[in-house]
Amino acid sequence: MTVIEQTRAPRSEARRRRSPLGSRWTPYLFLAPAALFIALFQAVPLAQEIFLSFTHTSLLNPTSNTWVGLENYAHIFSDDEFHRTLTITLVYVVVCVVGSVGAGLGVALILNRSFRGRGIARALVTVPWAAPGIAVALIATWMLNPQYGIVNRFLNAVGLGVPGGAILDSSTYALPAILVTTTWQLFPLTSVVLLSALQAVPKDLTEAATMDGAGRWWTFQAVTWQVIKPTVGLLALLMTIWSLRRFELIWLMTKGGPVGSTETLVIDLYAQAFDSKQLGTAAAIGMVGVVISLIVIAGSRFVARAAEKENIR
Amino acid sequence: MRTPRVRRVTVAAAAVGLAAVVSTGCGSDSESGGGESEGGVTTLAFAASTFGDPGRGPQLQEWIDEFNASQDEIRVEAASVPYPTFGQTVLTQMGGGEGPDLVRFDMPEFEAASDAGLIAPLDDLIDVSQYELLEQPDQFMVHDGVRHGIIFEASNYAMFYNADLIPEPPTTYEEFFDTAQSLTSGDIFGLAFRQTEAEEAGVWQDIFNYVYGFGGAWSDGENLTINAPENLEGLQAYKDLYDANVIPRGADAATFRRMFAEGKVAMELNNGGYATHLRAESPELNFDAAPIPFPVRSQGSILAPIVINEASSAKEEAATFIRWALEPENQVKLQEILGASSVATATERSSESLQDMPYLTTFDDLTESSLPQVVLGFEAQTPDIRKIVVQNVIAALQGQVDLETALDNAQEQATDLVG
Repeated sequence: MTVIEQTRAPRSEARRRRSPLGSRWTPYLFLAPAALFIALFQAVPLAQEIFLSFTHTSLLNPTSNTWVGLENYAHIFSDDEFHRTLTITLVYVVVCVVGSVGAGLGVALILNRSFRGRGIARALVTVPWAAPGIAVALIATWMLNPQYGIVNRFLNAVGLGVPGGAILDSSTYALPAILVTTTWQLFPLTSVVLLSALQAVPKDLTEAATMDGAGRWWTFQAVTWQVIKPTVGLLALLMTIWSLRRFELIWLMTKGGPVGSTETLVIDLYAQAFDSKQLGTAAAIGMVGVVISLIVIAGSRFVARAAEKENIR
Repeated sequence: MRTPRVRRVTVAAAAVGLAAVVSTGCGSDSESGGGESEGGVTTLAFAASTFGDPGRGPQLQEWIDEFNASQDEIRVEAASVPYPTFGQTVLTQMGGGEGPDLVRFDMPEFEAASDAGLIAPLDDLIDVSQYELLEQPDQFMVHDGVRHGIIFEASNYAMFYNADLIPEPPTTYEEFFDTAQSLTSGDIFGLAFRQTEAEEAGVWQDIFNYVYGFGGAWSDGENLTINAPENLEGLQAYKDLYDANVIPRGADAATFRRMFAEGKVAMELNNGGYATHLRAESPELNFDAAPIPFPVRSQGSILAPIVINEASSAKEEAATFIRWALEPENQVKLQEILGASSVATATERSSESLQDMPYLTTFDDLTESSLPQVVLGFEAQTPDIRKIVVQNVIAALQGQVDLETALDNAQEQATDLVG
């Protein structure tokens, strides 16, 4: 038996080596299409963007560049409006993440209980996520219309009407209106994902905690939260990245106005590139966005590793 | 030396790479800024936002069809691009050496494109001495002695009013204000104008009338004069109307124009092209037009030149179309289509038209006192100056800053911009 195995093994090894699937190049072969795709559609544009950010380039003559070094970066970081844009981006991202994950968790906890019509409720809750962003923006804009919108009628009826009714044209109310709309669109995804995470919580653990006299909050904190925490972390990371790059909803609702009160990084980038036709400045703004995204990813990985080490201890 | 196995893997990888490159290449846009020739017929793309106008688009298409039927060597195809994104879309294409062969631009984009060398000079292609071009609008088609465009449409601004609500139109600003105020009640508004940043270009068109109508100007031709006292007076009049709540605040142009058509807005300052749109969309509406009742008879005008893309490989064919458009009978037909707008040359309006649309003479009489909505002397930078001015004026409307300070800020920012 041993002899047979000893004689067969080298043959099998030899066959594996002869086969292209067994060679040491095989992993590279499988990786090649994806690597090529990323190189063509991610790395090359990114390299171009990095280059553009160090040049003066007009959209009307994009092949003619003037090397200006760090001038575009100096320009945007010395501009008070860019500081305001960064602040608005930060507010937008934080509120979107907290709002969508918080609302999603609340809805998921409700949907995880058994009640009549739960199936219909679970299906209905996904509707905002299923709707295209453009449709959501247009519907929200119409609902917020000062003349015909249902929101103003409701707010006026309860005595909370905005003077003039122009919510999206008020530098005070435009950002909150966009945040509510964004959260409304996002929370279904987080609730569905968290619902599936909640269903993975072992029932015997929650029952044991209950039998030990733990209240609902304590059971949630000690058992449920520990199980769903990685999912919440992943959702928070995804929501952060998506919120940083969200464009269509804000653009369609306010175009970054009024007076820049809803201008996030991507809106500013678009305005610089296509309104002001300054591709170099736009590329510099884009690079700031890339750096922020990388910091967020690195930060989330750091937190995740720290949590893993904590669990191992 | 490579082994056969390594070679096979390398060949496979190369094949995958080549396939990816080829498929990427196949996916590239073949539409370029040049007339396409097929079977001896050169096809030209003619881009204009007005092709999508329900009141004029179909008739403009018929007018182009007449050109196509008049000869068998050139075919012009209308390309409709929506107004809000027209300049951005077409300029981006032209900047990349692509885009339509013929373009009907608005002035700010025309100036930006000509400054960037994206428009073909017409001097060697069209002998304008053969035509009686209207001097006032035509002077803006020439830059430093080089002709870049021919007027396709010149549309002066006037005051549209609902004749059922306003039997006698106001003739002074005070009357204008009082009329707007007295007619505002419930969901009916005395006036409407654009006042949101989302309609930056539209706000610029609207405030232009207030600035020039009160004797102001954005520049003296050499220096910016954004915070001049006359501009402040004109824009204060605009703000007073906003503060008086006589307009549907927050309503965009599409909404308040629908309200005007429904009799829910009594007055509006708009250009002659709007008359044709109103007649087509709301034939029952009893409206009329009068000069804008501001202290100085000076108002904005939509000048829309037709130009040839510098990147077009069929410039001569494109010029043939423009020459055809300038022929007297085709100018008359174009004028009939455009309604209260003017065309490149002086044309006689038919007695039927004048009887049917008595306000035509109002618009025609305003031609000499109308100005394109650009900053004179800083034409190519108008879109950037526009953005600064509109943002600051809206900040004043929002109460974030007083109007005088807003104009001072705009002056400073715009001066920094133009250097």
